[in-house]
Amino acid sequence: MLAFAATVVASAQTPSPTLSNSAGVIIVRQPDDAASLTGVDLFVRAGLDRQTLAQNGLAALTAQSILETPVTIGTSGTTLPLETAAAAMGGSVSFDVGGRSVRFYVEGGSGGSGALVAVFAQALGTPAFDATTLHAARLALGRKIAQTEQVPLLVGLEMLDRQFFTDANAGLPQDGTATSLAQFVSADVRGFYVRNYRRGGAVVSAVGAPAILASGILERLAGVLPAGSSSAIVAKVPALRGASREMIAHRDIGAPWMVAQFPAPAFGSKNFGAMLVLAELMNRGLAEAAQVPNVISRTISENAVGSIYNFDQRPANLVIYVDGGLGDASSTFSNTLAFVKVIDMVKLTGSFGEFKALAQGDYIANATRLSDRAMLAGEFAMDGGSADYLNGALAAIAAVTPADVQRVARTYLGNPVIALIVPREAGSQ
Amino acid sequence: MRAGSFVLAFALLASVTNVLPSRATNEAVSQGALAHGGAYLVERDPGVAEAAVELWFRAPSDGYDASTPGIAQLAAVAVAAVPLAAGRSLVDFLQAVGGRFSVNVYPDMVAVSATVPASAARRTIATMTAAYFAPTVSDDSLKTAQQDAAVLGIERKYSAALALHDLAFQQLFAGGPAHQSPLPESDAQITAVSRGAVDAFAKRAFRASNALLAVAGNVEASAIDAVTDGTLGTMDSPYDSPLASSPQDISQNGSVDGIGLAWAGPPIVDEKAATAMDFINDYLFRDDSGTLQRTLDAAGSSTALSGQFVTLHDPGVMIVTISGPNADATRTGVLAAIASLNRPMDAATFAAAQQAFVYHCLSDAQTPQAAADNLGWYGTEGNAAYAPGIPDGTYVRDALALDPDYVAGIARTYLKAPVVVRLVTATAKGSAS
Repeated sequence: MLAFAATVVASAQTPSPTLSNSAGVIIVRQPDDAASLTGVDLFVRAGLDRQTLAQNGLAALTAQSILETPVTIGTSGTTLPLETAAAAMGGSVSFDVGGRSVRFYVEGGSGGSGALVAVFAQALGTPAFDATTLHAARLALGRKIAQTEQVPLLVGLEMLDRQFFTDANAGLPQDGTATSLAQFVSADVRGFYVRNYRRGGAVVSAVGAPAILASGILERLAGVLPAGSSSAIVAKVPALRGASREMIAHRDIGAPWMVAQFPAPAFGSKNFGAMLVLAELMNRGLAEAAQVPNVISRTISENAVGSIYNFDQRPANLVIYVDGGLGDASSTFSNTLAFVKVIDMVKLTGSFGEFKALAQGDYIANATRLSDRAMLAGEFAMDGGSADYLNGALAAIAAVTPADVQRVARTYLGNPVIALIVPREAGSQ
Repeated sequence: MRAGSFVLAFALLASVTNVLPSRATNEAVSQGALAHGGAYLVERDPGVAEAAVELWFRAPSDGYDASTPGIAQLAAVAVAAVPLAAGRSLVDFLQAVGGRFSVNVYPDMVAVSATVPASAARRTIATMTAAYFAPTVSDDSLKTAQQDAAVLGIERKYSAALALHDLAFQQLFAGGPAHQSPLPESDAQITAVSRGAVDAFAKRAFRASNALLAVAGNVEASAIDAVTDGTLGTMDSPYDSPLASSPQDISQNGSVDGIGLAWAGPPIVDEKAATAMDFINDYLFRDDSGTLQRTLDAAGSSTALSGQFVTLHDPGVMIVTISGPNADATRTGVLAAIASLNRPMDAATFAAAQQAFVYHCLSDAQTPQAAADNLGWYGTEGNAAYAPGIPDGTYVRDALALDPDYVAGIARTYLKAPVVVRLVTATAKGSAS
């Protein structure tokens, strides 16, 4: 199975991102004159950890309100909500609430990116938090929440995150809940915005046409935020206690799912490369434990089992997931957990060339879209380090030895917390 | 209302070139003939660390005598699984370099695709062309292909969108490969095909001269020199399928419930009309932003709705599939929305939808694999220059040349009464009764 010693990629042969600073905001540029589009990320330290427990959903409601804020486009004075305006201008704007930051992403044709970023800056600098805008934002978030509830993996991740992030409220549901969102009024949202939408810790990360990136739009965007910084809300989330470390949720799904979470090293760690390789090893083992058909073509079922290494989160974590609908759910789940148990106990030998190559291939494949490239460079630069998310990671993977993988497995794969998402029984609530 | 709309339309039309990329096509895509037969297209993007390498062949999925449904799938996988001169198969090689492999068979084409770290692109081109331009099939590799086809066949049967797609094509076309599912439909079909037949199909279909090599990503055009196999010749003519003269609606038992709607559309050579069909699809059905999708989302519906204009040599096909709760009501909504497009859209709505459409086109084509898919598909269907996503290519120009009257005319011409197909599970039948 490990017969081939892969030729490991030493370098991505792509230009490294460049870093600068504008008014205290880190600006990352990845000029790419082959890109038809330009993508711009803005990270603001206004994520989940800025919320108190009672403010669950406030970070998302603030960000969504910015997307709903009317902006003026063209010279006609026409106003449209930002998200609609972006689409009508040939682009898009979206956001993602993370543990530490909210990340806005603006993408559009290179010719119109300047105007697109300008309307985003308009909404960011003068957001509307009136009742009408909040109503529209709540409806939009309500739809996202309802969709999330239909996806067992996301349900499991929310359950696990809630107990994993014990030093702050970074494990609260990304978009809040319908109940929590209903209680906020304009003053709450405005207060959150005023406190947290600051330059301190902010990062602008852009990929695309060199001329656009050098045009000053990134600096102007950075300058929209007022000076100052905010701090995470100190919270002590009680750790899950008890022997079983299992949580169960019922949803309207066809088959049970199991999702398990382990602590993992962050991307700056010496163990980063080894965990990327270990994740590939686990993907293979999990597929065999879950009896995913071993065929050449890509199949739907192979997406029903795997691992997600959240190396950008603080603390970082590794999640494995298995769709129990692939076969007998109880034996699939027990085989999976047995595999995880074994991997940190047996001595790993032989060539890891194939797994290292797969780790490199997967890492590269997840860094091809503009949004991924902007996000990764921004995340890497956020703590003052290099924005070179590619060459360092590939080199780290190339240097991994079997002993490294063994050490990382023993260090991190001890005692997972498990979420089981099971079909709701008929007639139950 | 009208005045406001007009002002908005003016503002948007004035900035219609916002989405136009700045590069010239001849800088973006290299093309030419391979030294030993076949053609190539290379779209270079030095900003990414990945490359996609794809081989596309014109071939009927059900064999040259139309008697072996799925033979193209079996051949494409069997060739990838057989050990090459170096002792390992193409699939083994790709795993060893951290790549991913896939086979996609359409009624009239076969595509084999690899995404690899860019540093392995040249070796991938060499290995993939060595495997396919001098194909062999062994008993073991055929067994692998049969196992592969069996798994895919089950998944296709339980995928509402794919099962409805197959049934709609079966009704829309009177014969030819489009009348059949591109995958074998039963274990009997899978095992009935002999190794000799698969080998013969592979040797005929996968000739270098019948191939288009599509490469995208961080790879120099000079990597094409890595192709050392092949023989000169000409590419087959497109394998078109004849339309049924009066296609019939059908309702039949299936493993899933759902409704499919299909219309014959313009050929690929009618670029502007085909682009108008894509525009209509984008406006109504695109995930997240399509007007009908948004209506379903706003209602909290869990109905699955998907639409696609399949650009083929001749004719293209617009297909819509609906599954989940309230499928009949959704079908009514789909037909009403399409009927409303018989009248020109108001200028403001159209201008916004057009900008969004062009953006979606460019956004969807931004990964090496998506770019290579477009080059391969459109090149093999007979119009490579029209591949979406090529900066300054004809597709974007056609999209920007659309206007409300033209789109309404295309809707009136092509989107009349659709063929309606329905799959019903035994459970649903029982419930209904």
